[in-house]
Amino acid sequence: MKKAVKKEKEKDVVACRKSCKAKGTGLSHYILMDRKAKKS
Amino acid sequence: MISPIPPPAGHAAPSRGRLAGTGNGPAFSVIDIGHPRYMAVIEPDTAFWVLVRREKLAETLHGDRLLKAYRRKSRQFAEEIHHLRFGLKPSAVYFNPTGRCNLNCTYCYIPEDVRRGGPHMSPEKLIQALGLLKAYFRTTLAKDELPQIVFHGAEPLLNREAVWAGIARYRHDFRFGIQTNATLLDDAAIEFLRAHDVSIGISLDAAAPAVADRTRRTWEGHGVYGQVVEALERLKGYPAWSVIATLSTENLRHLNPLVDFLHGHEVPTCLINILRCTLPRSREVKPDDVQAAKYFIRALQRTHELYRASGRKLIVGNFANILLAIAAPTARVLMCDISPCGGGRCFFAVAPDGDMFPCSEFIGLDRFRGGNLFRDDIPAVLETEPFKLVTGRKVEDIVPCNRCAIRHFCGSPCPAEAHEMNGSMHCTGAFCEFYEEQVRFAFRLIADGQLDDYLWDGWDRGMRETFRM
Repeated sequence: MKKAVKKEKEKDVVACRKSCKAKGTGLSHYILMDRKAKKS
Repeated sequence: MISPIPPPAGHAAPSRGRLAGTGNGPAFSVIDIGHPRYMAVIEPDTAFWVLVRREKLAETLHGDRLLKAYRRKSRQFAEEIHHLRFGLKPSAVYFNPTGRCNLNCTYCYIPEDVRRGGPHMSPEKLIQALGLLKAYFRTTLAKDELPQIVFHGAEPLLNREAVWAGIARYRHDFRFGIQTNATLLDDAAIEFLRAHDVSIGISLDAAAPAVADRTRRTWEGHGVYGQVVEALERLKGYPAWSVIATLSTENLRHLNPLVDFLHGHEVPTCLINILRCTLPRSREVKPDDVQAAKYFIRALQRTHELYRASGRKLIVGNFANILLAIAAPTARVLMCDISPCGGGRCFFAVAPDGDMFPCSEFIGLDRFRGGNLFRDDIPAVLETEPFKLVTGRKVEDIVPCNRCAIRHFCGSPCPAEAHEMNGSMHCTGAFCEFYEEQVRFAFRLIADGQLDDYLWDGWDRGMRETFRM
């Protein structure tokens, strides 16, 4: 089903920042896909 | 030695920092992001940013609200950026099990003589190497964190026997991935990789053979498009795979059909990387900065159109990483667009003879060999001069990055390219406007409330919000 597109209500100032434990490991030649591979 | 955390504005001098732009006040930069209603205000050192309606800019810049918000968060954000830049430890290795490749791609960063006749690592040596790496990562990572090994190339599947032996032996000790040109990715290979939860990356530059085969060919000059597409078909439904396209003069104008093609083949994630100009041959297909940005952003917009029409996303991972650098810096995955880059500090590369380099991009540049996995102590190799040259490359030492507002969203990649093409670690790499335009586009998306549309579903699961205005 098509997901509704979220849209911020237009404000004078917009800012958001989130944080988590940093794990940056990759170079741009490759991206390790996190999702567990399905067994078929 | 790790650089001390620089004091954020407001703490460095005997100034109250009452106003932006002087004394201890924050050095806000105002950036035209090309949005009809919003401008960006950025404090570069902390990567603090807000988007402000154009007509409210002067009032916001010099009013209390923004200054108070900045003062409240500046130390926390400075520490966060400092940790990302200087506090991480290695957690991944790009492992070349062979020097050889069955292709002769225009932009490869591995020298031709190595790709024609370089060594294979034996299964015994590869198992020994992974054992050494396992022991090393026990000293750097928490018990619940698995290090990553990415078999990379040259073409790793030319040495399938050794790669399979390593994966089978250490499947519970590492998260494995493989980047392959897909020409040897037959049913048996896919079955093995799926059974061992190995993440698979394959290379394809265009949706049409006439374009894709311009840059990716065998030594005899034959294209391999057909073989790659067969592999794509086989991988459909596997969640842990991605496609890498290298953006060059040869496919620049064909990115939108590529996006359609990848989306149609249910590719979950792709990278559309601008080529690296480390070796002279690749510079023959170097695209113009402005043109590259134009077509790349069109391709990003096309992914969004497809998402709106189908409800299914094709994530462009390298752009998603720029978005994360802005919206959640600690969540960034790729470490090329941060300074110092991840080479030699978050990951390193191992060549088929065990030689260690800060990054795959340096394999072939003997000056950057830091030591050998079988003979030297890994922590000592990370402290060698070749590694320090890379891990010590900072935007603060590069003109014009040292005065650029987006220096912590771009990171001035790439050190190998800067050194080989422009002559010094204190130069920029081959591209600048390409990154400027991506950051502007990223801010426009945020202004329009489309951030989530360009990131993986659930990208912020487990994160905490640290700032909102």
